Amino acid sequence: MLRLALAGLPALAMLPAVLTAQPADVHTPRGNYLLSCGGCHGLEGVSNSRLVPDLKDQVGVFLNLPEGRRYLVRLPNVAFSSMPDAALTELMNYVVFDLGGTSAPKGSKPYTLREVAELRRIPLTEVSLVQMRQQMVQVLVDQFHATTNLNRYGDDAYGSPPQP
Amino acid sequence: MTSPIDKMGERLTRNLARFSSRRGFLSKLGVAMLAAPAFPLLPIARSARAAEPKAPGPKTDFERNSQTTDDTKCNYWKYCGSDGVLCSCCGGGHHTCPAGSEPSPISWIGTCVNPEDGRSFVIAYRDCCGKPMCGAGKSCWCDNSDRELPTYRSSLNNDIIWCFGNASASYHCSTAALVGEAK
Repeated sequence: MLRLALAGLPALAMLPAVLTAQPADVHTPRGNYLLSCGGCHGLEGVSNSRLVPDLKDQVGVFLNLPEGRRYLVRLPNVAFSSMPDAALTELMNYVVFDLGGTSAPKGSKPYTLREVAELRRIPLTEVSLVQMRQQMVQVLVDQFHATTNLNRYGDDAYGSPPQP
Repeated sequence: MTSPIDKMGERLTRNLARFSSRRGFLSKLGVAMLAAPAFPLLPIARSARAAEPKAPGPKTDFERNSQTTDDTKCNYWKYCGSDGVLCSCCGGGHHTCPAGSEPSPISWIGTCVNPEDGRSFVIAYRDCCGKPMCGAGKSCWCDNSDRELPTYRSSLNNDIIWCFGNASASYHCSTAALVGEAK
């Protein structure tokens, strides 16, 4: 047993060196969220709900619809982000399953690298994003009992002050 | 005639000799020596590493002249992307709005390097809104642009008045709130 433990030790000793060898500009999904999304969506996924859609405890409901799942990645600021596919995939899973809390339907699968890489190549550019979202929200509220808070975005194009 | 203290000492030494094996001690020492490099997270190792510069790439002009003590000067380190009049000159702080104005819930977010430890931190550049522009002296007007992008990347642009989502969209002054370490 002792010999076994000793055999494993050199490998263990190398671990910290491997971990610290990462380049300094690699961010965690949370770090990427703050730098690329948090300014408008808010540090915890809520800012001005009428001007920017809430993410907190809410964004996962779009996964109830196949086109909703695709929509989240095809949004221009997601698809056109300067992040590589792998970082964007981790970011999407952080947003949907961490910030989104339990809003995704039970058993939802995380986004895969391949899925995100394919979806971001067909960004939503020739549609009315607000209309497209409203149509999905209608279905989500009517058929999937999603929160009506989803309707706050788009109430007023210029955004009224956040409600107390 | 031996004293009780002598007896106690003798008993301790004999027990130590009887119940501890020299080989057992040596093997434990060996394991400890081998395992030691696997745990480099002692405070000393960490603080030594923290002193190394972590930000990638060469320093910007701003970073060569930044300081950490006076937040009423444009070269205070958290203002590396600030464009506007400093709230710390207007009765607020570098992360608080002056009385009567309120922070914009929407802002742009960038990173600044702390010159003391070379680490990057996430900064939210929120404007304070709802009052006419603060009339502070010229030295409080800053135009820094580290990691800021042109208007076609508007979510990372510092020429935008970020008060557009507030009840009153009038711009009063600029803050630079530290949000966390950039990692």
